[in-house]
Amino acid sequence: MGDKSEVWQGTLALMVLKTLESMGPQHGYGIARRIEQISGDQLSLNYGTLYPALLKLEQEGFITSEWGLSENNRRARFYRLTRTGRAQLKKEAREWEQATNILARFLSPEEQG
Amino acid sequence: MKTIRAFMARFGGLFNGRRRDWEMEQEFASHLAMQVEDNIRSGMNPEEARRVALIKAGGLSSARENYREQRGLPFFETLLQDLRYGARNLRKSPGFTAVAVITLALGIGANTAIFSIINAVLLRPLPYKDQDRLVQLWETEAAPGTYPFAGPDYLDWEKQTKTLAATSVYTWPMGVNASNSGEAQSLVLIQAETNLFSVLGVDPIVGRTFAPDESQPGKDHVVVLTYAVWQKFFGGRQDVIGQKLELDAEPYSVIGIMPRWFKFSRGEVFVPKDMSAKGMHERGSHWLLAIGRLKPEQTVASAQAELSTIAKNLEHQYPDSNDKIGATVVSLKEQYTGDNRQELFILLGAVALVLLVACANVANLLLARATGRLREIALRAVLGASRWRIVRQLLTESILLSITGAVVGLGAAWWFVSLVQNAKTLPIPRANPIQVDVTVLLFTVLVSVFVGVLFGLAPALQASNLDLGEELKSTAQAVLSPSGWNRWFRDGLVVGEIAVSLTLLAAAGLLLRSFYNLRNAPTGFEGSHVVTFSTLLPQGKYDDLTSRRKFFDRFLEGIHSMPGVDIAAIASELPLEGGTNGYIKVDGDTDPAHRQMLVEQNYVTPDYFATLGIPFFSGSNFSPADMDREGAAEQKVEELYKQNPNLKSVPAELSSIAIINRVMAKTFWPNQDPVGKTYRNGGRTFRIIGVVGDVTVGSVRGEPMPEAYYPYTRALVGPIAFGHLLIKTHNDPTAILPSARAQLRTLDSSLALFNPRTMPEVVADSMQDETLQTWLLGSFAGLTLLLAAVGLYSVLSYLVLQRSREIGIRMALGAQRTDVLRMVMRQAGTLTALGIGLGLFGALSGARVIQSMCFGLTARDPLTFAGVVVLLAGVSLLASYVPVRRAMRVDPMVALRYE
Repeated sequence: MGDKSEVWQGTLALMVLKTLESMGPQHGYGIARRIEQISGDQLSLNYGTLYPALLKLEQEGFITSEWGLSENNRRARFYRLTRTGRAQLKKEAREWEQATNILARFLSPEEQG
Repeated sequence: MKTIRAFMARFGGLFNGRRRDWEMEQEFASHLAMQVEDNIRSGMNPEEARRVALIKAGGLSSARENYREQRGLPFFETLLQDLRYGARNLRKSPGFTAVAVITLALGIGANTAIFSIINAVLLRPLPYKDQDRLVQLWETEAAPGTYPFAGPDYLDWEKQTKTLAATSVYTWPMGVNASNSGEAQSLVLIQAETNLFSVLGVDPIVGRTFAPDESQPGKDHVVVLTYAVWQKFFGGRQDVIGQKLELDAEPYSVIGIMPRWFKFSRGEVFVPKDMSAKGMHERGSHWLLAIGRLKPEQTVASAQAELSTIAKNLEHQYPDSNDKIGATVVSLKEQYTGDNRQELFILLGAVALVLLVACANVANLLLARATGRLREIALRAVLGASRWRIVRQLLTESILLSITGAVVGLGAAWWFVSLVQNAKTLPIPRANPIQVDVTVLLFTVLVSVFVGVLFGLAPALQASNLDLGEELKSTAQAVLSPSGWNRWFRDGLVVGEIAVSLTLLAAAGLLLRSFYNLRNAPTGFEGSHVVTFSTLLPQGKYDDLTSRRKFFDRFLEGIHSMPGVDIAAIASELPLEGGTNGYIKVDGDTDPAHRQMLVEQNYVTPDYFATLGIPFFSGSNFSPADMDREGAAEQKVEELYKQNPNLKSVPAELSSIAIINRVMAKTFWPNQDPVGKTYRNGGRTFRIIGVVGDVTVGSVRGEPMPEAYYPYTRALVGPIAFGHLLIKTHNDPTAILPSARAQLRTLDSSLALFNPRTMPEVVADSMQDETLQTWLLGSFAGLTLLLAAVGLYSVLSYLVLQRSREIGIRMALGAQRTDVLRMVMRQAGTLTALGIGLGLFGALSGARVIQSMCFGLTARDPLTFAGVVVLLAGVSLLASYVPVRRAMRVDPMVALRYE
C-alpha cells in the first residue's frame, strides 16, 4: 500500500463519525477526501477499507444512509450521523483522549525523570 | 444491544444479495467518478486521471469481497451457497439421489417410528400428577407371581398403611350392556373406589368425578365416561351431565367426562364400587386391583416393607384364607412398562442396525461418486479452496441428503404411527398416546444430522485427500482407479453390511420359527369352524337361577336350530384366556407341591367338549339330570352361606361332580384312574366323573395346567351370570353371527353381543405380542437384506467397471470367460464369506438376548442359522449376477479402445 499509513478499524470509525459531525451528511468519496486531507495526506483510504467500515457503522445504528445527488449532480449515497452515533462519538472521543493522554505522559521525558 | 442489532442487520444482509450488490457497484462507481473529476480538475488528462483513481481505489475484487463479508454472515452465506450447490449436484444425478434418499428414508423412518413408541411407553412420564409417587399394589400367593386382592385384605391394608397417602381399589375391566335408547352395545366397565381419579390426580374435562358417599347403595348410579364413549353415545354434547346411560338395564346419571388422552386399564365407563362387606366378598377370593400414592418421604421399598408386615399379621389372624398371602409394591410406571422394556430395546437395537446398514450403503454410493468427482474437487483445490472448505462442502451435501431422507422417512413414520394409534388391541401398554411429538422430531433431526456426518465423513475426507497435480494430469482411466484405502474401506462396508444383516436375519428367523412353533403348538382343541361371543345378563332383570337358566337354555336352543350350526355350548372360560383358578385338597395327599398347584376352573354345558373336539379318556360326560341337580345344589349351598358366612364345610348330599383334564389326573392321582375319586375345594367336596384331554390355558407358551370342569348351571348362581357361547358350524363360522344377534334381540333387546371372534382369532389374540415382534423384526431383517444386496451389487459393479480394461487385456491374451467369471466371483465370495463369518460370530455370541422370545427352539438353533446362511449366500449370488454378466460380456476391443 505504498508509503502511506494504513488505518485500523477502530480509529477509522472514530474519524468517520467525527467527519460526519463536523461536515454533516456526506458521501463516501467526500468522507475519504476529508480524512485524507486532515491527515495531511498521510492516510490513504481504498474502497476495501472504507466501505466495509461504513457498512459496519450503519449496521450498528450509528449512521444511516440514503441515495441523493452530489454537488455535481451525481447520484451518490449520503451518510448521516444518528443520535446514537453522536453519543457514541462523544464516548469514543473521550476514551481516545484519555488513552492518548496516558500514553503521552508515559512517553514524555519529564515523567521518566 | 449493539451486537444484536448488528447481527439482525447482517442476517438481513443474507437476502436480497443481488440488489445489494448492485447498490455497492453504484456506490463504488460514483466514488470513482468523483475522484476522476477531481483529478481532471487538478490538471491531469482524462486517461491519467482514471488510472490514478483506479490505483487509489485499491484491489476492487477484494474490496467487493470485504464488503460482502461485512454485509452478511459469512458462515451462513457459505452454508446457503453449499446447500444450493449441493442441491444442484443432487438434482444432476437423480438416480443416485433417489436411491440414497429412499435408503435413508427407510432407515430414519423406521427409527422414528420405533422411537415414537419408546418415547410414549418408556421415556415420557405417565400423564398423572406426581406420577413417580404412584404405585400398583398386589398380593402374592404360594405360587409365584402377583395376584389380585381379596376385598377384606384391601380394606385392612387401606386402614393400616402409613407409607401411602391414599389407596384406591378397582375391578378388572368387565363387559357391560350399555344403551341410551337404541340398540344395546357392549362397553368395558370398571367399578372403582370413589377416590380413583383423585389418587391418579386427573381432573375431568366436563363435570366432576365421584363424591365420597357415592359408593353407598341408592347414590351409586352415577357414571364417569371416557372421551370416546362421550362422543359415541352423546355426540360430545356439553349438556351430557345429568343425562341417563343404561348399564345392564339400570339407569346411571352421567357426572363427568375424562380427558381425551385418559386411558386406564381398558375401562370405558367408570362406576362407584360397592365398598360394603358384601360388595367386597369374602377373604380368600382374589379379584380386585389396587393402586396407591406414596407419601412424600416414602419409597417403594419402605411401602413394600410396611405392607409385607401388614400381610404377615393378616396371615396370623386369618390362617385359613390368608396362608402364604404376601404383598408386592411396584411403581406404576414400571407396572406399565416392565414386560415390554427388553422387547422394545431389542426392537430399537434392530432398527438402529437397519440405519447403520443404510448408512453403509449410502457411504458406499458416495465413495463411488466421490471417485467420479475427483477432478471437480481437484480443480476447486487448485483454485484455492482449503481442505476444510472442501470437506465442509461435501458434508453439507451429505447432510442435505440425510435431511431429505428424514423428511420422507418422517412421512412413513407418521403413517406407521397412525396405524398404531388406530390399532385397537395393540399389545403395547400405554398411558400416553403414541405420536410424533417434539421429542420425536428432535430425535429425528439429531439422527439425520448424525447420520449425514456418519456416512459423509469418510467419503469427504477421502475425496479431499488427493494429490492435486496427479489428479489434474491424470486421464479418465486413472481417475477411475482410486487408492487402495478406498477399496479396502468399501469392501469393509459391504462385509459389515452382510454381517449385520445376517445378525438381524438370524434374530428374525428365530422369531419366525418360534412364531410357527407357537401357531402349531398343541392347544388341545379343534376350533377352525368355531365362533364365539359372550353374553352378560344384568343382575336386576335376571336375579335367580330359574330366570337365568331359562334365558340360556332358550338361547342355546335357538342357536341349535339355526341352519349351518352343528353343535353349540356355553362356558365360563375360553381356552387360551381362562383366568379363574384355585387350590384343591386331596385327602391323604401330603405332597407340599400340590398345595401350591393352581387348578383352573371352567363351568361348561355338556356339549362343550364336542364343540371344541376335546377327547374323553375315561368316565362320562355331564348328563342333563346332572345339570338340573347341580344347579339346585349350588343354590342350596348359596343359601347356607347366606345364613352362615363362616360355614366350614358343605353337607355331603350337596357335593358336586367334576370332569378333570389329564394333567390334573396325572398330578394328583399318578398311575390311577381318578374316576370316582374326590377332592375338596372351598368347603365343597367334588367327585370326579370323567377325564378329558388338556387344553392350553393362558399363553400358548405355558405348559397345560390342571383344569377342572363343572356343570355350567353352578355358575348361574351368584352375582354375575356371564357366558361364552361357542358355536361350531359346517361352513363359514362368522356367517351365523347376524342371526345369533337377531336371536339375542328377540330374547332380550337390552343385551349386547360381546366380543364376537372365531377361535382362530382367539388364538391370534393370545399371540399379539409375538405377532408384532415377528412382523417388525422380520421387516427390519428383510430391509437390511435388501440393502446388503444393493451394497454388494454396487461394489461388484464398480469392480467390473474399474477392471474392464484389465479384463479386456486378459481376454485378448487368451483368458477364457470362465476365468473372468472366477475372478469376479472370487471377489463376491470373499466378501460374502467374511461377512457371514463375522455375522455368525456376532449373532451367536449375542443370541442370549432373545432367548426369552424363542419358543420351541434355542437361540442358537442350528437349522435357523444354516437357513439364514444359505439365504444370504443365495442373495449375494443373485446380487453378483448382473455385474458378472457384464464382466463376461466385456469386449476386448472396446475395453482396450477405452483408453
